[in-house]
Amino acid sequence: MTERTRPRSPHVQIYRPQLTSVLSFTHRLSGIALSVGGVILVVWLLLAAAGGSAFGGLNAALGSWFGRLLLFLWTFALFFHLCNGIRHLFWDAVLGFELANIYRSGWLVVVASTVLTVLTWVIAMSMPGVA
Amino acid sequence: MAGSDDRAVLRRARGLGSAKSGVRHWWWQRVTAVALVPLTVWMLVLLLATAGEGRRALMVWLGNPAVSVLTVMFVVMMAWHMVLGLTVIAEDYLHHEGVKFAAITLIQVGGVIVGVAGVISVLWLALGGTQ
Amino acid sequence: MIIRRSEEQPRWTLLRRFPVPRGFHAASRSRVQAGREWPAPEGAGNVKRMQVYRYDPEGDERPRVDTFHVDLDECGPMLLDALIKIKNQIDPTLTFRRSCREGVCGSCAMNINGTNWLACTRALDELDDPVTVYPLNNLDVIKDLVGDQSHAFAQYAAIRPWLRASPPPKDRERLQSPEQRRELDGYYECILCFCCTSGCPSHWWNGDRFLGPAVLLQAWRWLADSRDEATGERLDELEDPFRLYRCHTILNCTRTCPKGLNPGKAIAEIKRKLLERQG
Repeated sequence: MTERTRPRSPHVQIYRPQLTSVLSFTHRLSGIALSVGGVILVVWLLLAAAGGSAFGGLNAALGSWFGRLLLFLWTFALFFHLCNGIRHLFWDAVLGFELANIYRSGWLVVVASTVLTVLTWVIAMSMPGVA
Repeated sequence: MAGSDDRAVLRRARGLGSAKSGVRHWWWQRVTAVALVPLTVWMLVLLLATAGEGRRALMVWLGNPAVSVLTVMFVVMMAWHMVLGLTVIAEDYLHHEGVKFAAITLIQVGGVIVGVAGVISVLWLALGGTQ
Repeated sequence: MIIRRSEEQPRWTLLRRFPVPRGFHAASRSRVQAGREWPAPEGAGNVKRMQVYRYDPEGDERPRVDTFHVDLDECGPMLLDALIKIKNQIDPTLTFRRSCREGVCGSCAMNINGTNWLACTRALDELDDPVTVYPLNNLDVIKDLVGDQSHAFAQYAAIRPWLRASPPPKDRERLQSPEQRRELDGYYECILCFCCTSGCPSHWWNGDRFLGPAVLLQAWRWLADSRDEATGERLDELEDPFRLYRCHTILNCTRTCPKGLNPGKAIAEIKRKLLERQG
């Protein structure tokens, strides 16, 4: 019997987004964003150490509206990854696996990372060197 | 379905057998994660304190050994955590063995460069920097 | 909103599906086409639209989605009743698996309105219109809602899911205290419907090597069994970057289990055991 190649049933194309998968995906995405941010941070330190004019250039770029937008997104990525990372550490200790707690901790991460991001920027904008 | 088909399917499911590894990767991802919880908060404090203040403020802060030690630890843990995380992502999505091998090599080399560059920059600034 | 039990349906919907192209990550033979409409009979009052995935290996080049208008006044309460009604009265070629019609056999597991559940235990009035019905995810489709589960069962066989122990003394049974027996609660109830494994993104990308939540829950069921003597051997077989550690605790599994079990927790238990023997 010759069989034609069967189709594969759809998965990511049709599966309903849920708090579980959306936060997991966001964790991964924020991790990638933070990796890029980490590289920029090290470049920033490197230029500061080198002491040339390039340091001022990078600071100016980061201080532009686009730079600040990126810094804001990185701040959110950082707090999200941090809060959700702590959620993962609880799971690693086999804690918080009841479905209701999975949802409670998930929403807590969303709220906490948003509040912390805004709070950090309120503080940052009130620093004397930033205007 | 014929018995030989079942065998082929079972053979495929068994694959190359267990690699008998994986705990270590998982464990170090958690160790670096735990370390990064306080270190990240620390790094944010440092960045907020020196935001917009330029190179001098950074050098004054890092001139304190406790500050530079914490910052060096942040850089090392961050680079390490980044390598572990990005490796998992590469393993997840890259299915061509050659491409996957190249990507993971790149991630590891990149991680070492990020770590070394970050540590040297911090020490350089801490010890007086380029005048 | 907080979901307390896996059977709960969300009260509101932000996104019915991820914002990816319909053909994303799908070979052309797997891309779904629009199918035909099967209107409700004249005078039907309480009509629900059912969008059902169809594929006929002897006719279709590609799968399609047919829309059946089903008169709920002339239908039993469950989704499975509606599928049986379609097969009996509208299109006898509609193909799906079913057996017990009471949630213990696991045959009628399918993707219903975007998540996996048993057609026999999902009430029609809980489902938003139109109801979308797809086979379990990421399986080679044999016909319509019937997917080829050979690989999933081969993965199950690969963990050798039976008691591995030396023979008991001739005059005694293998005893287990009530406490030891309780260790299996929440795991032994698994009916192997593979709703969880099919709904696991990690299994979508690496299902050839990652064992998936259903099989790993079973693996833990045997690790947790006080009578089993092969703990070390079992852990050896599981410790692998792909077989076990592709689990990233996404927890779609725990969210979707139609028996209310917790595969995510079972996997965390395995990871903890593997750590325990390191130091």
